[in-house]
Amino acid sequence: MRTLRALLLRILRGSRNGADFDAELQSHIEMHTDEGVRTGLTPEQARRAALIRLGGAEQTRQAYRERASVPWLETLRHDVKYALRGFGRNPVFTVTVVVTLALGIGATTAVFSVVDRILFRSLPYVHADRLVSVGLTAPLSPQEFMLGGSYYSWQDNQKPFEALTSFLGIDECDLTERNPMRLSCAPVEANFLPTLGVSPILGRNFTSDEDRPNAPKVALISYAFWSGHYGGDASVLNRQIDLDGSQARVVGVLPADFEMPTLGKADVLVPEALDVAAQRRADPGRVMWAFARLKSGVTIPQAIAQLQPVFNYSLSLAPPRFRNEVYFRVRSMRERQMQSATLAAWILLGTALAVLLIACANVAGLMLTRMATRERELAVRAALGASRGRLIRQSLSESLLLSLFGAGAGFALAFALLRAFMAIAPTSLPFLANARLDLRILAFTLAISIVSGLVFGLVPAFHSPRALALTARSQANGRAGFRQVMVVGQIAASVVLLAGAALLLRSFANLASQPLGLETKGVLAAHISLNRYRYTTPQAQMQFFLGAEAALHRLPGIVQLGFSDTVPPSGYHHDTIFSIISVAGRPPQTGATGGMVVWRWVTPGYFSALDIPILRGKPFTDDQRTGSESPLIISNLLAARLFPGQDPVGQRLQLAPNGPFYTIQAVAADVKNAGLDAAAEPEFYRLRRNLTDDWQNAPSAIFNLKTSLSPKAVAPWVQSQIAAIDPTVPVDIETLGESVGKLADRPRFETALLGFFAFSGLVMAVIGLYGVMGFRASRRTQEIGVRMALGARRADIVRLILSEGVRLILLGTLIGLVAALTLSRVLKSLLFSVGPRDPLSFFAVTAILAAAALLATLLPARRAALVDPSEALRAE
Amino acid sequence: MSSKTDVWQGTLALMVLRTLETMGPQHGYGLACRIELTSGDALQLNYGTLYPALLNLEQEGYVRPSWGSSENNRKAKFYELTKAGHRRVGKAAKEWKKTAAILARFFSYPEEA
Repeated sequence: MRTLRALLLRILRGSRNGADFDAELQSHIEMHTDEGVRTGLTPEQARRAALIRLGGAEQTRQAYRERASVPWLETLRHDVKYALRGFGRNPVFTVTVVVTLALGIGATTAVFSVVDRILFRSLPYVHADRLVSVGLTAPLSPQEFMLGGSYYSWQDNQKPFEALTSFLGIDECDLTERNPMRLSCAPVEANFLPTLGVSPILGRNFTSDEDRPNAPKVALISYAFWSGHYGGDASVLNRQIDLDGSQARVVGVLPADFEMPTLGKADVLVPEALDVAAQRRADPGRVMWAFARLKSGVTIPQAIAQLQPVFNYSLSLAPPRFRNEVYFRVRSMRERQMQSATLAAWILLGTALAVLLIACANVAGLMLTRMATRERELAVRAALGASRGRLIRQSLSESLLLSLFGAGAGFALAFALLRAFMAIAPTSLPFLANARLDLRILAFTLAISIVSGLVFGLVPAFHSPRALALTARSQANGRAGFRQVMVVGQIAASVVLLAGAALLLRSFANLASQPLGLETKGVLAAHISLNRYRYTTPQAQMQFFLGAEAALHRLPGIVQLGFSDTVPPSGYHHDTIFSIISVAGRPPQTGATGGMVVWRWVTPGYFSALDIPILRGKPFTDDQRTGSESPLIISNLLAARLFPGQDPVGQRLQLAPNGPFYTIQAVAADVKNAGLDAAAEPEFYRLRRNLTDDWQNAPSAIFNLKTSLSPKAVAPWVQSQIAAIDPTVPVDIETLGESVGKLADRPRFETALLGFFAFSGLVMAVIGLYGVMGFRASRRTQEIGVRMALGARRADIVRLILSEGVRLILLGTLIGLVAALTLSRVLKSLLFSVGPRDPLSFFAVTAILAAAALLATLLPARRAALVDPSEALRAE
Repeated sequence: MSSKTDVWQGTLALMVLRTLETMGPQHGYGLACRIELTSGDALQLNYGTLYPALLNLEQEGYVRPSWGSSENNRKAKFYELTKAGHRRVGKAAKEWKKTAAILARFFSYPEEA
């Protein structure tokens, strides 16, 4: 304790009270001298004796100072003070360095805070590295899934897992209390939480008895729902809540950091309550998502090998036409969650680090230049006895100090950048909305600033010539050579960044300008999702939507109105397998699935509201909505596949084996229906008639309204019309343009970010080049003077300096192009209809860079040429 | 061989504390003289080492300095024991006696054997 207190005092007070001690020492010597005089010595003799007994006044002071402070801290304090004085004398240098570093560190920090959760931070489960997602893959679903028909057999017979669990997906549900609320519910197996290693913070998990078909209903609620709706009240335990019209007892509250393995938001977990015996017999059984915990020491490839027998069993249950297209997949939880975001995250992080490196190179260059101008000062210090180590330490403390300033400014910049990221945040990049600058990020910032401080501090420090002679004049050649290498590297890095940005930009432009096959301008889409507990029958659902349609028809400014259950170009739609569709009069198709076919329920107004042309045949009419026939409109793609070279109009299709036949009434033009970046799939449209048969399980619909007034003006009217019918029904209104724009959010985000980084990198590289060329030119002033005196013209001088710059630019660009061509392959999966070696992009990048870099060499070259020869000869 | 002994490491602080306890507040020079006197002039004290030791005691909170005037009216810095200092002396005295007794046994043992 006491020692600590002493140390603290030393650090805080330092040797500030030196004057006080001088007075004390003075008084000591005087008293001792008085004593000596009293014993008969002369004052001089007495004083001398006193000093001898003291052991020397200066030595005593030194001993006192050492005791008063912590010696190494004292040197550090000294170094820092010295460095700060130096910075103050040279504010342009200091500001340039700090701004450059802030840009590099800020960009890296902001990007790190975004990608941290995607790439590095551990998932909120116990031993998350042993959790995997398991299942079958088929053309039906890009994600691995399980089927009730074989899941339980996997559970019984699998070997590699400690536990295998499942949940049935997240679905909407309603809290039907006094204040009804739309929630999301996830039915999970009883062993779901134990497998993930999650325990409720309050109450308990379900028991396996509660996970049975007719058991009394129970529920676990999320932390957010608990604190938001129940005010974090512990008495919520054992309370009965009304879920979708039936009572469930709350048995527990989930931890605040709980996440579903699919990252969806779930307010309530309920038991799956599946009839296991019935599922085992079922074909195919319930679709579910399965997750497992690997036994300790088992790797994913080992697990795949060990699962082969159970997979073969599943395969034997699959219909023959599926067998060649069904595989199974085991992958880490992180991979399942992050999907393609991982690649984008690595690319962003790599880009930010490249910018940081360019920044460091620039700062190192600036430090070298500063060093060159301080050569004499350093030589004097060395001559006065400063050791090499002492000088390196001084140089390091300067660079570390600079990088700490840079880190401070960079942290502020990162804050601003993160705000900007969030403003253009794509919803498909997980966790972006939750990215925060927390302690972990701060530690990261400090770490990179220290590393970069070491990098650009040590380079000049070790580069200082062995003989720091007082006569040192222009030994800068070797050093300039080093700077040239750095400039070449910077140019090469910028080429890579620019090439990446150019490719993404082209790809984004392609994506945004492609024809969608439908009109988005002036079209409002109102998504309406009925409360299941209020609209339980098809009749009730149909009545609501027909009533709403009539009400919306009466609104002014609505030119066309149609409604459908889903809309292109992305999002949910019905799917069916191509090969189960059969044409009347032909034998059923055999063989593989033939891929998927999209279909939707629509009303006649759908095609005119979205401007989808009918190519052949007659469009649906309103009269048909009350008719008894079941007409069909198919897309051009489907027509081409089913009826190559024939007229499909009038043909009849059976959509499922043993199902009814539908007459094809028309062929519609193709529409982008599988997302912006995938090719269109074949599609058919069914007319939704005013018959309850067509309204089975139809709780949601989308009204597509083509407006002649501003969509923004019409939107509130639509809201109030729906509210007039039933105020509890949630309505979500968007223009179609907005929802299509959202689909391009992610590419827009990636393009904007890479563009920003490429631009900063280019600016820094050009500044670096300018610095080197300017420095070289000023060092050659005398030589230029001699050349001019010997008859060289100004143009010769410009050429002399330029040629040196051009060599650097050519070399850097060449290296950069080779690297970019190699690295751009990584981008391939992010690019839309542009190759990773797109010649136009690479040409543009080279041109931009060459132009900027030439400008940066031309300026110093011109300045050098304008030197007055007589002045130049006299220089130095 | 020198007839005077150098001060052993670490014992100077104890001597200072003990002297302050018996003599009351003292300035540095007075302390130095007093310590030599107490030792019966057997100790050779380098006066310069006294001040870092005093500073250390001050930092540890055992003594408190204040400026005053000496007997012959010179300005001098006086050191005074704090409460913690008093406790420290009491404790140190006990420890010292114990250590001395143990050491004494070691050095008396061979003669008795």
